[in-house]
Amino acid sequence: MGALSSVWTIARWETRRSMSSMGREVLPLAAVLLVLLVLVTGFAAQSGMHLQDGMYRIAVDDPDVFQIVAADERFSAYRTDAGLRENRHAYDIVILQGEVYAADTDRGRSALRALERDYEAYVSWVANAQPDLFAAYPLWIDLRYVKSELDFAATQSGRQVGAPPDPSAPPVPEGPVETVHPPSPAAAFSEAELRESLRRDAADHPLARYADLLSADTGMETFKTPSQLSPPLPFDSIILVFVFIFPLYFTSQFFMMSMVNERVGRTGEILLSAPIRPAAIILGKALPYLAAMLLISTVVTLLNGASLLILLPLVPVILFFLANALIIGMSARSFKELSFLSIFFSTVATSYLFFPTVFANVHVVSIVSPLTLVVLQLQGDGFTVAEYVYSTSLFFATSLVLLYAGAANFNEERLFSEQRLLPRLADFVAAGVSERRPLLSLLLLSAFAVPFVFMIQMMALVLLFNLPMPLSLVLLIVAAAFIEEFAKSVGIYAVFRMRPAFLSARNVLAGSFLVALGFLAGEKILLFATLAQIVDSVFGSVLFLSLQVLWMPFLLHFTGVLVVSSALKIGGRRAYGIGLVAASVVHGLYNLYVVSGVLP
Amino acid sequence: MNARHIRLIARKELSGLYAEKTIVSAILLQLFIAMFSSFLMVGLTAMYDPEAMAEYSTVRYPIGYAGAESPLIDAFEKSDDLRLYRMDLSVAVAALSERKLSAVVYVPDTSPDAEGPITITLYLLQNDLQSSIINTKIRDVLLGYEAELREIRADRLAFLPISLNFPDAGGADFFEFVYGLLIPLLMFLPAIVSAALIIDLITEEYQRQTLETLMSTPVTFAEMVWGKIAACELLVPVQSGAWLLLLGANGIAVRHGVEILLHAAAGGLFLILLGALAALRYRERTGAQFVFSTALVVVILFVLAVPYNPLNLMVRLAVGTAGPEHWLMLVLVLAATAGLAWLTNAYARRMGDALHAVQ
Repeated sequence: MGALSSVWTIARWETRRSMSSMGREVLPLAAVLLVLLVLVTGFAAQSGMHLQDGMYRIAVDDPDVFQIVAADERFSAYRTDAGLRENRHAYDIVILQGEVYAADTDRGRSALRALERDYEAYVSWVANAQPDLFAAYPLWIDLRYVKSELDFAATQSGRQVGAPPDPSAPPVPEGPVETVHPPSPAAAFSEAELRESLRRDAADHPLARYADLLSADTGMETFKTPSQLSPPLPFDSIILVFVFIFPLYFTSQFFMMSMVNERVGRTGEILLSAPIRPAAIILGKALPYLAAMLLISTVVTLLNGASLLILLPLVPVILFFLANALIIGMSARSFKELSFLSIFFSTVATSYLFFPTVFANVHVVSIVSPLTLVVLQLQGDGFTVAEYVYSTSLFFATSLVLLYAGAANFNEERLFSEQRLLPRLADFVAAGVSERRPLLSLLLLSAFAVPFVFMIQMMALVLLFNLPMPLSLVLLIVAAAFIEEFAKSVGIYAVFRMRPAFLSARNVLAGSFLVALGFLAGEKILLFATLAQIVDSVFGSVLFLSLQVLWMPFLLHFTGVLVVSSALKIGGRRAYGIGLVAASVVHGLYNLYVVSGVLP
Repeated sequence: MNARHIRLIARKELSGLYAEKTIVSAILLQLFIAMFSSFLMVGLTAMYDPEAMAEYSTVRYPIGYAGAESPLIDAFEKSDDLRLYRMDLSVAVAALSERKLSAVVYVPDTSPDAEGPITITLYLLQNDLQSSIINTKIRDVLLGYEAELREIRADRLAFLPISLNFPDAGGADFFEFVYGLLIPLLMFLPAIVSAALIIDLITEEYQRQTLETLMSTPVTFAEMVWGKIAACELLVPVQSGAWLLLLGANGIAVRHGVEILLHAAAGGLFLILLGALAALRYRERTGAQFVFSTALVVVILFVLAVPYNPLNLMVRLAVGTAGPEHWLMLVLVLAATAGLAWLTNAYARRMGDALHAVQ
């Protein structure tokens, strides 16, 4: 009870303090700015966005064509009759008597593309005004989507999914064939409904559909004319990042700042001298922000009329943000450093959350990001428990490790030291190594490093997955080897920094053995829990080689750590980089050897 | 106001940035983004314009065809990218769900000159990037068929659109994305970074209580503020210029680099002054950053809604379609910045006097 009540006291205290400092000074001006924001938004809606105005120059001889062109602000349109043919080089596009001429430059080609789109829109607009709709739009497409879960192994050795089989004969399905009834030839909608949907479609600003992105669809989306058959933009996740992630990121900033304030004003000293455990202080301080973030997410979800299940994948993201905010707030030396660290973190975190949802929409890879689960839930597909575990376990695991590291380092020495950033971070790690049982600590430390390694490797996988095949594999091998060797050696490096004498010959061997053991154990536990799907593919075999014979990867991990720690022992801290590179080379060569056996 | 004092403070801040290696993390950050530039190019462009992706694939996609005979069969067979198989509908859909086909087309038995529409059913894989590509390929065939049908039903049309004859278009899909979005964004980022930096520099003096020490030197409060502003402002063209060089190294030629940097520097100074005012007003980082970020959104939205805004002018300059009117805009921005500078100066002096009175 004692711990709980002290958490509660600190949480109340934190809320009151941040409310009072924000309330008096900031809120009035924030209200004024909010009014200004509404006004400016209105103005922007009226006036439109003028970013790409006048990118192209176009000259036209016909007043009617000029009307079509001038509506698009990307064009600076000129209407001239005389001498156009001679002066055509001054323009990107010239239209003479219905013939379009484009300059043979990048700009000219790009302008031509833009003009073609505009012309298509114009033709649709004219067709829509026809009294006989089905003479103007004789062809309608009824889109039906078939679900197909992509097997990750299908992309092995760069073979494209759905690559043509035997070109002469039609493919034969392997599974059972369900009878599909031929669709009715009659249009599913009345003429008035179709005309209305065409009108709406023509009036739509390209961004307008995001206004009702999350609203229920009318069913008209799947019934289109050929010109409306543009592929769906995977823009939705950007909007999701704005709607769901930005408020969370912003709130975590307040937590970060509150941490820094304890250190800058040395107010933390009072807290530390109170009979409260550091973990309770951290929890208490984090609680108001956690509550605020959950509240914001709930409000956003409800405003969008979506299911509250969306909150489930957001919880690990919230924890992850808070845990990182804690570490950044505890380690930044100055406000500048804080700004850069938090910008850096937000860039990396946002790309981790955001890129998979966009590019790997198809693949199992996309579920690496919890945001994909949000997309799935919004689409009405939902997600399974297995998918939830798969996409969120790394977030949970890393958050917990970071929170623990924060609590272990929440003391006077660490909070008020004036060291540089990297030594300070090394101190954070070293705090995890106990004086009495350093070897056991090293084992645990390397096991705890595994979720981070997976996270970074996943990021590398998502990024490199898009490159052409041999290149993506080679880069992945190099990246994976380096990341693993770095993670394994961090503990030993941190101990060596504090106590160089620790690295006796016996400890080098024993330490390397235990670090390799811990890493292997962590890797295997996490793999079986989560990533079984990826493991089967060629990419998986690069990242997670340890699933094969046990002693081989163990020997590999052992050799890697041994190389680095020997380098440290012989050459001191300067040799750390050399040892790391050497270990990575060994590791990479081994990976390459194994993978070349996997590849045909 | 003593120029030497201002220079002194600016140099102190810059060397502080250097010593703390924050600049290193800033460069790391930019490198992180630059590393993905190729990735960004392909990926984001595909997002911006999915049709661009379609030109990268050279495979012939298998398509299932079911239902009545139609001119579509011929059209599909003529396509270089698609391979048509006549199949039973149920079998075809099953093959599609196993990814052995890329799409299935079902054509009903409706006569071309019927009163009503011809409704074709198109089965695609859900939520698949490849579906987007196939979508584009099939769209071309269907558009051709639509034009054919329009021809057949032409006598029922009341009026015709103006006809334009287009030449065959080439690639150049990245152009609009790179010049119309990426470049103004990259030119603008350093300005935001610097504006955030000035808030840190000023509020830190208050919150760390280093102000008294500074005030006991001959440097006045206003001089200190201006020194910090100068240090931040200096970083804007340096970073933007680095981006321009990086883009150039990636084969993206940007025209009128000097003019673009002038616009970036002027806009950057405006934002930095805004940040400085917020910092002077709140003397505390959380509040100042919060107010500044909100103000930043207002300013950006407003600027983008104005025709011939500096960001648009950067686009025009980069592609080489800007006229001399961009100098006028530069003067306008500088005038607004001068107004803000006067305000900042007056405010800083007042704060300085108050400080001295306390001492």
